[in-house]
Amino acid sequence: MNWIKIASTDQLDDDESMAFEAGGRQLALHRSENEFFVSDNVCTHQYALLSDGFIEDGCVECPLHQAKFDLRTGKAMCAPATVDVQVYPVKTENGSVYVSLPE
Amino acid sequence: MTSVSSILIIGAGQAAAVAATTLRKLGFSGTLTIVGNEPHAPYERPPLSKDALACGDDQEPPIHLREPAYFSENGIDLRLGCEVTALDPERRRATLADGSMLEYDRCLIATGGQARPLPGLEGTFPSLHYLRTLDDARALRSSLRSTPRLIVLGGGFLGLEIASTASRQGVQVTVAEAAPRLLARAVPEEFSDWLQDRVAQAGVTLHLGQAVTRVDLPAAGQGCATVALSDGQVLKAELLVAAIGMEPATRLARDAGLRLDANGGIAVDEACRSSDPHIYAAGDCASQRRAGQADAMRLESWQNANEQARIAAGAMLGQASEPPAYPWFWTDQFDCNIQMLGLPAPGLTYHVRANATSSDAPPRLLMLGVRDGRACHAIAVNAGGDLRALRPVLERNLPIDVNRFLDDNISLRELAKSTLAAMPAQR
Repeated sequence: MNWIKIASTDQLDDDESMAFEAGGRQLALHRSENEFFVSDNVCTHQYALLSDGFIEDGCVECPLHQAKFDLRTGKAMCAPATVDVQVYPVKTENGSVYVSLPE
Repeated sequence: MTSVSSILIIGAGQAAAVAATTLRKLGFSGTLTIVGNEPHAPYERPPLSKDALACGDDQEPPIHLREPAYFSENGIDLRLGCEVTALDPERRRATLADGSMLEYDRCLIATGGQARPLPGLEGTFPSLHYLRTLDDARALRSSLRSTPRLIVLGGGFLGLEIASTASRQGVQVTVAEAAPRLLARAVPEEFSDWLQDRVAQAGVTLHLGQAVTRVDLPAAGQGCATVALSDGQVLKAELLVAAIGMEPATRLARDAGLRLDANGGIAVDEACRSSDPHIYAAGDCASQRRAGQADAMRLESWQNANEQARIAAGAMLGQASEPPAYPWFWTDQFDCNIQMLGLPAPGLTYHVRANATSSDAPPRLLMLGVRDGRACHAIAVNAGGDLRALRPVLERNLPIDVNRFLDDNISLRELAKSTLAAMPAQR
């Protein structure tokens, strides 16, 4: 796997998200219960950035229409979203967060 | 509990589909029939005034609530383009337009409503549109493409969304509203003022506090429609949309002798049960008293349709459900995602945070309606995440420190957390 360093672990507080770009993709880094997750940043329902959303119970909630996605699996958990959001493998090492993107 | 082996859902919109899926999720394996008078499988209505109105004919966004195969795969008999003409509560039997009969153990009325027609102009005219159904949206979409000018009658949510979509497509739009301000029933004056500026900056002309005294429609697609206002002005446009409210579809319920409330909706209790113990109602056609509200109300919202459907589904099976979610509503217009939490109430003082001017792109604004130190109504413009953070504070009716709310250096997440932490643990 090709790991790309995207942030340091102290850049993001718990229950917060931030937008970043890597490999030509718009991505969001989320921190929930001190674990890091990466998803596509654009909601699958309508154009909105999940990095502006709300994190609770292992899910990120879209700021526009409260569609909810499981951070671990990307599964769309409630209406109005019906399409899952893409999530990517993440690891933390020596205070840095890495993501692995498909080729 | 008597066993329930057949459930009939009348209507095939948001509430109907959510009720049916909930019933199956709860393990109901009996006969489940949905009868809807539109030709389309259940779809979401919010996009009809936005994406589904702005798109090309071959680029309609997917708005179906479920893949069409879902219904057959789950043993749901979905009868479309089909009308229930009578209900017999005594025999628990419905009559369909083709004369056939359907018996039920439980029945859910989720018939929604229809656009209120302009008084004195019943019938169809090529230059006059309403917007309630997907077919309405398709017809309006096609007319908008060739119209230079549009008059929208009604400055409520639907009228403004249509105005926004049309104006973005280059149509010259005029909105006429009888009340002295926009969204008068839903938002405080401060917010109406803000939104009126925003709408005007988008190039839409507003006529407020003007009742329509006369509407003339051209014969057979020739000439302009004219609208006369109470101040004597006469507006002209090739196309007219009337968005002056919705009438709940309650004829069946009324004919069946069910109790209706003064607001026209079918009176239901907290379990969404009507005055007949076997008949329930949910969504736009239902009238219910919410906790903390003096009067029963019809809540015409996507969330309310979902919530009442969920609660009715449980109750029809004799199961208790979680109470309804705190009222939440959104509208997308003029590049603003406007969300509201809670309901407006008399005597609220509104406090404004991140007071962006209406010309900012995109503007951002948060308003909190407070009474006796507690917030019970909040409005966010392009700040849905912040509003979401505040939700538990409103849900639990906690005292809130307005000065901290107004302090931009304190995140609302932080404010919500400290407010919750200050309260004894309870839900």
